[in-house]
Amino acid sequence: MSAPETPETHSQQQQTTHFGFKQVDTSQKVNMVKDVFQSVAAKYDVMNDLMSFGVHRLWKRYTIDCSGARTGHKVLDLAGGTGDLTAKFSRIVGETGQVILADINDAMLKVGRDKLRDRGIVGNVEYVQANAETLPFPDNSFDIITIAFGLRNVTDKDKALASMYRVLKPGGRLLVLEFSKPSNEMLNKAYDMYSFHLLPKIGQLVANDADSYQYLAESIRMHPEQEVLKTMMDEAGFEQTTYHNLTGGIVALHRGFKF
Amino acid sequence: MSPYIEASNFSMPFAQLMTAGIELAINRLLKLDEDSQQRLKKLSGKSLQVTIAELPWPLVFNFSEQVIVRTVSNADKDSAPAADSVDCLIELNLETLPKLKDSSQLTQLIQQKQLNLIGDVYVAQTFSNLLKEIDIDWEEQLSGYTGDVVAHQTFTSMRALFDTAKSQIEKGAIDLSERLTQSDSIAVKPNEVHEFSKGVNEIRSATERLFARVAQLEQRQKTATGSDN
Ligand SMILES: C[S@@+](CC[C@H](N)C(=O)[O-])C[C@H]1O[C@@H](n2cnc3c(N)ncnc32)[C@H](O)[C@@H]1O
Repeated sequence: MSAPETPETHSQQQQTTHFGFKQVDTSQKVNMVKDVFQSVAAKYDVMNDLMSFGVHRLWKRYTIDCSGARTGHKVLDLAGGTGDLTAKFSRIVGETGQVILADINDAMLKVGRDKLRDRGIVGNVEYVQANAETLPFPDNSFDIITIAFGLRNVTDKDKALASMYRVLKPGGRLLVLEFSKPSNEMLNKAYDMYSFHLLPKIGQLVANDADSYQYLAESIRMHPEQEVLKTMMDEAGFEQTTYHNLTGGIVALHRGFKF
Repeated sequence: MSPYIEASNFSMPFAQLMTAGIELAINRLLKLDEDSQQRLKKLSGKSLQVTIAELPWPLVFNFSEQVIVRTVSNADKDSAPAADSVDCLIELNLETLPKLKDSSQLTQLIQQKQLNLIGDVYVAQTFSNLLKEIDIDWEEQLSGYTGDVVAHQTFTSMRALFDTAKSQIEKGAIDLSERLTQSDSIAVKPNEVHEFSKGVNEIRSATERLFARVAQLEQRQKTATGSDN
């Protein structure tokens, strides 16, 4: 049985993909990623704060500040997980706007929904279980799409970018917040030490789950670096594509428009 | 040149650190004053942009049951006219900022060209009032931790301490400003030293009284709860 692939990915090699450093069947990756987030869902927020020393909140703020969001906008927070970005967008777009929190994983969606409801965020937020590669929305639906720390988990990133391009309104913009490659060699080494040695240990201690955090470190390393991702976005049709390194390139925010 | 603070090799999101701090502070304060929630409702769904000349980033406030504080990214500052994306836009310099506390001064400030306002003046006024009228019942807050009686007594003693300290500091400030205007009195005069140490002593004994009072109250509370069991 052949995996349903995009037409241009026809070689033998395309039957497998990476899951962290491991090579796995392309058709399996989705489920393996699902397992990772199924197991971290409950502790996800705590771990996020712990692992990034809280700085992920600033990276997310930066993303919002670059989004141009305003009252009445329709926003897709893709791979939105526990809904940090959704919460802020919901308050910015107001009653006349709408935010859709989409994630492939129902456990993450549930944690997100409960958290936002507890904070009184209701009314303009919808929760949709969806795969970024095949978004279940009509063409030209959104003013803004964000995908924060999600793209590296997606099996076929080109397909996902094309799908995002399709559902974005003309004039709309995509923001990709993702781990990237530190620009400084020293920082790069220190960061590798941290993510490959310390991170899985913290994961073991706090979430009793070293494997998931090992995957996290490996998937970060396998993710296309700044320039490569920029080219991928260009190829998907985005225009005026730029990126901005944050915290020395540990994280980068890519932005592209659809005109 | 762009005023955007950012080292090319190691850029920390400074602007976001600042807005996060302001947002946290405002929402904490509003939470402590129950009535302010009601006043915040008047602003629900509105947005306000404050551009302070001395700051590299404009501040954007979005109002709902909370206040969101963010900035506008540099790229957007050039491409999008900010004025039509918010309900009200204010431009001013740091010096004028404290004057905003009195919302009745707004029109005057505009006339004097100390302040540029585009859009709905009501948003600016309501926000200014909201901040000014924040009234926190510290005694009530404290009682959550210590019980009512202790809170009341501690609060009274603390207010006394605070008043003493404040009057001493004010006095010190007047002395200092007088001294600064009289260039011949650089040297500290003996009676000034005396006055100063008297002030310090007063604060010290007020502090001691407070500590003694709290200790006493603690003791009393212990005996009270002890007899309950
Ligand atoms: C690291 S979390 C990020 C969550 C949130 N955006 C944040 O920044 O905190 C990654 C999320 O991507 C989701 N995800 C992974 N693959 C996906 C896919 N193909 N389509 C949609 N979501 C996906 C996961 O379920 C997980 O919730």
